[in-house]
Amino acid sequence: MDFSVLTDNWPQILNGLVLTLKLWLGGTLSGLALGLLLATIQVNSIGVVWHAIRGYSAVFRGVPLLIQLFLLYYGGPSIGFVLSPVAAGLLGLTIYSSAQFVEIFRAGFESVPRGQIEAARISGLNRFQILVHIELPQMLIIIVPSLVNLFVIMTKETAILSVISIPDLTAVLNGIGSTTYAFAETLFALAAFYWILLECVTMAGRVLERRASRYLIR
Amino acid sequence: MLFAAVSAVLFSLASTGMSQAQDALERAKSAGVLQVATEMQYPPYDFLQGGQHVGYNVDLFNEISKEIGLKVEFTDLPWSSVLPGLEAGKYDVVAGPAAITEERSERFRFLVPISESQTTIMIRTDYDGIAKPEDIAGKKIGVQRAATASKELASYAATLSEPPVVTEYVDYSQANADLAAGRLDGVANMSNNALYAAAQRPESFAVIAEGFGATSYSSFLGRKDDDSKALLDLLNEAMLTIKHDGRMAKIQEKWFGKAQDLPDQGPTFE
Amino acid sequence: MIDLFLTEALPVFVDGIQATLFYALGCLVVGFPIAVLICAMRMSTIGPLKALATVYISFLRGVPLMVQLLISFYCLPVLGVNVAPWAAALFTLAICTSAYMAEILRGGFLGIPYGQIEAAQISGLTRRQILLWIQVPQAVRLTLPALVNEAVAMVKASSLISVVGVLDLTRAAQNVASSTYQPLTFYTVAGALYLVITMSVATGGRWLERRMAAGRR
Repeated sequence: MDFSVLTDNWPQILNGLVLTLKLWLGGTLSGLALGLLLATIQVNSIGVVWHAIRGYSAVFRGVPLLIQLFLLYYGGPSIGFVLSPVAAGLLGLTIYSSAQFVEIFRAGFESVPRGQIEAARISGLNRFQILVHIELPQMLIIIVPSLVNLFVIMTKETAILSVISIPDLTAVLNGIGSTTYAFAETLFALAAFYWILLECVTMAGRVLERRASRYLIR
Repeated sequence: MLFAAVSAVLFSLASTGMSQAQDALERAKSAGVLQVATEMQYPPYDFLQGGQHVGYNVDLFNEISKEIGLKVEFTDLPWSSVLPGLEAGKYDVVAGPAAITEERSERFRFLVPISESQTTIMIRTDYDGIAKPEDIAGKKIGVQRAATASKELASYAATLSEPPVVTEYVDYSQANADLAAGRLDGVANMSNNALYAAAQRPESFAVIAEGFGATSYSSFLGRKDDDSKALLDLLNEAMLTIKHDGRMAKIQEKWFGKAQDLPDQGPTFE
Repeated sequence: MIDLFLTEALPVFVDGIQATLFYALGCLVVGFPIAVLICAMRMSTIGPLKALATVYISFLRGVPLMVQLLISFYCLPVLGVNVAPWAAALFTLAICTSAYMAEILRGGFLGIPYGQIEAAQISGLTRRQILLWIQVPQAVRLTLPALVNEAVAMVKASSLISVVGVLDLTRAAQNVASSTYQPLTFYTVAGALYLVITMSVATGGRWLERRMAAGRR
C-alpha cells in the first residue's frame, strides 16, 4: 500500500471532495424544501392534486437514482433540455430526495391532531403561522429520525454522480487510481471518507433527535 | 448451523479462485474458456448492436479461438477499472485494445500490435470552431477517463496558450452523446474510433484533418508474471499466424476501411 | 420505431430484467441468514462478537454500495478471494443488505415479549430452537414493513452492479440508448420497468403482511 498518490494529487482530491459535499447538501436541502412544499400542498388538497403528488412521490421513489440521472442528463437534450453535469446532478438529487421527503412530511402532518389546527384557526392564525408554530413543532419528534436517515442515505447516493461525468470525489479518485494503478489505495481512501462522513452525520442526527425531543417536552 | 452454512459458501467461493497450482493457460484449458475483459462502448473494436457484442476484437478473437481451441468469453467493464482488474488478477487477458506506451509496458505484456492510431478531435459536422488541433484552446473538450487520448490531450493542452476545458467520461458513448447535445465542442479520441463514429453518423460527426501527439500501436495485453507466460505465448503465436495468412488484414478492412501495415512486435522501450 | 424496439431493445431488456430480478431477490435470500447471524452477534453478551458485528454493520451502512462493489471485485483478489462477476455482484449485494436487515431485525427481536422466550425455555426448547422457531419468525413479522422497504431498496441498489461487469436492466438500457441514439425513449422504458418491479415487490410485501396478520388470529 502506497498512499503517496493521495498526497501527490491533493488539490484535485480536495476539489472533488468539496464538490461531493456541495452536491450532497445542496441537493438534499433543496429536496427537503421541495418535499415540504409538496407535502403542505398535498395535505391541504383533495382529488387530482392529492393523487398527482402521491404519484410524483411513488414514481421517483420507485426508480433508481442512476436511471433518473441518465434520463435527465442524456434524455433531456432530445427535448431541448440541456443541463451541465453539475446542474443535472443537483436537480437529480433534489427530485429523488424530495419524493422521499414528501412521504415523511405527509406522515408528519397526519400525526398532528386535527383539533389543534381547528383551534389555531379559530384563534386567528393564518395558514403559514399554523404550519410554522403548530404543525412543524408537533410533528418534529416523529419525523426527525426519518429526516436524519434520509440525509444519511443521500450522502451515499452522491457516489453515483460520477457516472454522468461530474468530477466528484468518486470520479477523481477513480481516475487517479486507474492511471497510477494505486486502485486499492484510492478505493480505501474513498471508503474511509464516506465512512467518516456517515458517522459524523449520524452523530449530528442523534444530537438533533435529542434536541427535538427536549423541545417537545418543554 | 448458520455459521457452518455461511463459512461453507465462503470457502467454496474462495477456493474456486485459489486454484493457483495451475497456471493461467492450464486454468483456461480445464475450463475450456478464455476469459477476456474489455469495455463494450468502444466502436469499432468492441460494441453492441441489437444486444450482440460485435467489432474488430470480436472477429479477431473468433480467429484466435479457432487457433487455440478455446472458447472466448468477454466481460464488459468500465475502462478505468479494466487494467487495474488485470493487475489484480481478475482475468488474464484484456482486449481493449490499449495503446502500447512505455508506462504500460513496464507493468503489462503487450501482444502482436493490432492497429495504429493517433489522438484526434471529433466535432459536430456543422461546427467550424475547430479545424486543427491548436484550435481546441479554450474550447470544451470531452475525453474518456484513464484512456491514452486523455493523457495525450493533457500533455498537448499544456503547450497551448489557453488550455481547453476538459470533461472526463466513463465511456465514449457518453462523450459522443454530449458532443451531439452541444455540451462539448469536441471529443478527443483515437483516430480509428473517431473516423468510425464519423463514418457511421456523417450527418452528426466529422473528424479534423490532422491529429496530435504520438502515433502509437495498440494491442491486447496480459500480465508479465510467470503464471500468464504460457497463455500469452500461445495467444501471440496464434495472432502471428492470423496476421501472416492475411486474416487480420481482412478484418482490418472490414472495420477500418483499409488494412494497416503493422510490425510483428510493438516497441519495447529498453 | 416499433421495429427498432423489437430488434434492438427487446432481447437486451429481457436479459436485463431477468438479471435485475435475480440479483435483487437473490441477495435477499443469501443476505437473510447472514443478517440473522450478524444480528445475533450484535445482541450477544460476548464483547468481541458484539464489537465485530457493530463494525460490520457500521462499515457496510457507511460506505456507498458502488465503493463496496469496486473493493470486492478489484481488491479482494489480493486476499485470494477471486470470484466471477456474477458472484461478486450477488454476494456484495447480499452482504450489504445483511447489515441493514440485521439492524431491522434487532428492532424486531427487542420487541418480542420476554415471557414468550421464558415460556419456550420452560417447555424445554434449546436455544437454537428458540431462535429459529420463536424469535426469528416473530422478529420478521414485527419488522415486515421495514424488510419490504429494504427489498425495494435492493432492487434500486442493484442498478449499480454493471461496474463489476454484470449486465442488468440499467446496463441494458445504457447499451440500447447508446446504440440507437435514443436515450430519452429507452431510459424512460427502463424507468417504467423498474417502477413495475419495485411496486410489485411493495404490493407483494403488503399481501404478505396481511397474511401474517391473519395467521396470528
